Amino acid sequence: MLKTSRGRRRMADVLTYAVLLTMTFFCLAPIVWMFLTSLKTEADIVTSQMQYLPARITFENYRAIWTQSNFPVLITNSLVVTTITVVICVLTGTLAAYAFSRLSFKGREKLMLGYLLVRMFPAVMVIIPLFVMMRTVGLVDSRFGLALAYTSFLLPLFVWMLKGFFDAAPKELESAARIDGSTRLGAMVRIILPLARNGLVASSVFIAIAAWNEFIFALMLTTGQGSRTWPVGLQLMVGEFQLPWGVLAAGGILSILPVVILFAIVQRAMVQGLTAGAVKG
Amino acid sequence: MANLSIKDIQKSYGALKVLHGIDVELEDGGFLVLLGPSGCGKSTLLNIIAGLDEPSTGEISIADRSVTALPPKDRNIAMVFQSYALYPTMTVERNIGFGLEMRGVPEQQRKAEVRKAAEMLQIDHLLQRLPANLSGGQRQRVAMGRAIVRNPDLFLFDEPLSNLDAKLRVEMRTEIKRLHERLGTTIVYVTHDQIEAMTLATKVAVMKGGYVQQLADPRTIYERPANMFVAGFIGSPAMNFIRGKLVVEAGRSRFESEGVRVPVPVSGAAPGTRNCVLGVRPEEMKVTTADNAPIKGVIDVVEPTGPDTMVTVRVGDHSVVARAEPRFQGRRGDPVAFDVDPLSINLFDAETEERIVMGSVHQDA
Amino acid sequence: MKSVLHRGPLAKLGDLSETRYWVYLLLFPSLILLLLVVAYPTLYGFVISVREMRLTRPGLNGWVGTKHYVAMLSDRVFWISLKNTAIWVTAAIALEVAMGFVAAVALNRNVPGTKLFGVLILLPYFLPNVVAGHMWALLLDPRLGVINDILVKVRILSSYKAWFADPATAMAATIVVEAWHGFPFFALLFLAGLKGIPEDLYKAAAVDGAGPIRQFRLITVPMLRTVITAAVILRVISLVNSPDLLLVLTGGGPGNATQVLSLYAFQTAYREFNFGYAGALAVVMFVILMVFATLYIRLTRVSKD
Repeated sequence: MLKTSRGRRRMADVLTYAVLLTMTFFCLAPIVWMFLTSLKTEADIVTSQMQYLPARITFENYRAIWTQSNFPVLITNSLVVTTITVVICVLTGTLAAYAFSRLSFKGREKLMLGYLLVRMFPAVMVIIPLFVMMRTVGLVDSRFGLALAYTSFLLPLFVWMLKGFFDAAPKELESAARIDGSTRLGAMVRIILPLARNGLVASSVFIAIAAWNEFIFALMLTTGQGSRTWPVGLQLMVGEFQLPWGVLAAGGILSILPVVILFAIVQRAMVQGLTAGAVKG
Repeated sequence: MANLSIKDIQKSYGALKVLHGIDVELEDGGFLVLLGPSGCGKSTLLNIIAGLDEPSTGEISIADRSVTALPPKDRNIAMVFQSYALYPTMTVERNIGFGLEMRGVPEQQRKAEVRKAAEMLQIDHLLQRLPANLSGGQRQRVAMGRAIVRNPDLFLFDEPLSNLDAKLRVEMRTEIKRLHERLGTTIVYVTHDQIEAMTLATKVAVMKGGYVQQLADPRTIYERPANMFVAGFIGSPAMNFIRGKLVVEAGRSRFESEGVRVPVPVSGAAPGTRNCVLGVRPEEMKVTTADNAPIKGVIDVVEPTGPDTMVTVRVGDHSVVARAEPRFQGRRGDPVAFDVDPLSINLFDAETEERIVMGSVHQDA
Repeated sequence: MKSVLHRGPLAKLGDLSETRYWVYLLLFPSLILLLLVVAYPTLYGFVISVREMRLTRPGLNGWVGTKHYVAMLSDRVFWISLKNTAIWVTAAIALEVAMGFVAAVALNRNVPGTKLFGVLILLPYFLPNVVAGHMWALLLDPRLGVINDILVKVRILSSYKAWFADPATAMAATIVVEAWHGFPFFALLFLAGLKGIPEDLYKAAAVDGAGPIRQFRLITVPMLRTVITAAVILRVISLVNSPDLLLVLTGGGPGNATQVLSLYAFQTAYREFNFGYAGALAVVMFVILMVFATLYIRLTRVSKD
């Protein structure tokens, strides 16, 4: 009896590892392949006989995308847009998340639902009017305008995610601080924000990644060099210049590098926030 | 000079009314326990006293100063929470001193006062630790230290012992009593534990459904409960209730039920009978061998607890518990009889469940 | 003890935080922003859908009523897009749910190394669609694609295949790419759901004599129902809404084999500058999604109890 149940468990463990390894391979192999391609010479890529590992490792592709295209400008634009988006969301969203988590007021449930519903609006439906509006006020092709557009779907997400983290801090802490002589503002700044620091970082990183990756809004709302972000730039390069695979792969690797690094740093807190927001909301 | 006055406090959340006009006066140095089952409104009332919640109507005064419109920080109160609510990112020292820090007390003086409070609570060796590295009892002490260091007009305790294990709870209860006697500060204390109420309070407010059912000193609450809810809530094992009739004839009154015939000292009642409920505490039921014993029944269960033996007895349709002496001999199925002191019993109206006030002999306090 | 704090503007703000205006002050900034970038554009979107608005022909401008909606009825591409949207979303999500579930169950066994596997499996979800698209285009390239090479080597294929150029395989290929990108989302949520099931339930079932399969059917699936439904609806909304991946992979082609509503609407606006018609398409999408949204709200209401 013991023997068979132990045998069964070992079988299950083997099966588990088989599943996990297969899935990990499925998830990572494309990224690894792109990385390998980015290190190959053109000759190694375009061959009649498939060359799996680069015969000779070259960084020529990286040099090419960085110096022979406007990739640095695109990356800078993306950085600026992402930063502005995160700043706007943190400044306004933290306050709202705090209010939803801590204060009771009339219409709280309805308003929270409203913030949730916004996530369901088709991007296309908002993009067209936004384009017309921004053209009127001269914000088309501006990095600030694009960041503003991003807040339309990232701010509600940020608020919901952060609210989950605020909820995790006991309400009694604030009561204690207020009795100890703090105002509500003081309790928030001295007690709750330091406690929710990880959540604040995770939520910020999450929207930073989303803003960094965003493509459709950027394609519609940026028309020139001044504000074009890297996803749009990369896509246009492929279309216009028939970008060689090696160079494209190098561009891809460069642009996902910040995402991978950020994700690795805060993945645990981010997973926590993401599941809390999604399961609850 | 820190008396507390609660006048006609009402509180509604939308259509839900949780407090229906609460009036309580507490003298300087008094120890008021708000006692009741969960959902009775006691915590809401405490939060309103603290200023953490706003009353719909009514008035709170502390030390003869109306504080109804003041935020918590300006009420000069301190509070100990059920979860202790220690600031996780601060050391014990900073936790205790936070209230002084917020009031701009200079660091040297702050340190001295924190040390004094910590010594009083025997936690002075823990000052540099973070709350995460403390045991439950130590956290409780830190929470109390944070309250006493401020030397406030009023202490508020919100079920402070309910997260502790049984042994520690008794220990801390004694500690709180000692503290109260030493500092003499006015205290409002919320609990659902009647033992805590009995041991600590100078005044108990038993609450249910947003009403104060009875406001009195613990002895009165125990011996002369205002109604059946209070009678049943206080005491363990609970007071026995036996339904029956109050019979008044020829100037004498007695309570009758199957197996029960207890003389009742009611004076000046009109002759007749009325339905009522007899309330008698387990320890007032004395085993007797007398033939004319007022309560007779059959033993159901015998439970020795050490200091005494609990005997569950079938009396008519009722199940009644008696606290007998430890060496009580008796088995399931044996007949048993009890004597009761007529002065120790309470009678309740069967309809209203209010206590029937019994004539001159039973003067209320 | 009187306050001896310096009365600066921060102290005034602190006093304000004790009044009942505080909550409005907290909500005001984000609310204004969302009214500006969501509520107003949405309303404006409805207006655009009943107007003529082409950036290429500024003269054509004005109220046209239901013209765009009527035109849609006889628009062949619209109907193809509608059908493709249904197929694409359903197939991709079915695949993602299945894979996500298997991954979650495997991760929930907590074998050594689970944490690392968890992070690695989650990674695709955070990669940009643009890179994901090109990455897979490279893998499936008709001349240089490594997948073609492997399939030919193991003799499943006789020669390299142009997956995205063949109407017969284009849809399936894009679904695989979307599954790669989206299944970690389900794995993540299902794992959270699985962790929320008390261990005691399984023990009790085992004591009662229920085998692994019956435990799965009687405990796991019912306990996960809310999470599954919520995750599916969230994903439906996000897939119906985002044209990115298809725009990068196929641009809706070959022919209209992978044309979906969101992409069609976007192209109508972006390529043809026919904002009126694109707006009408978006409104139709919105209405379709509202059906899901209502469902979603009901669900969260239930799950909150």
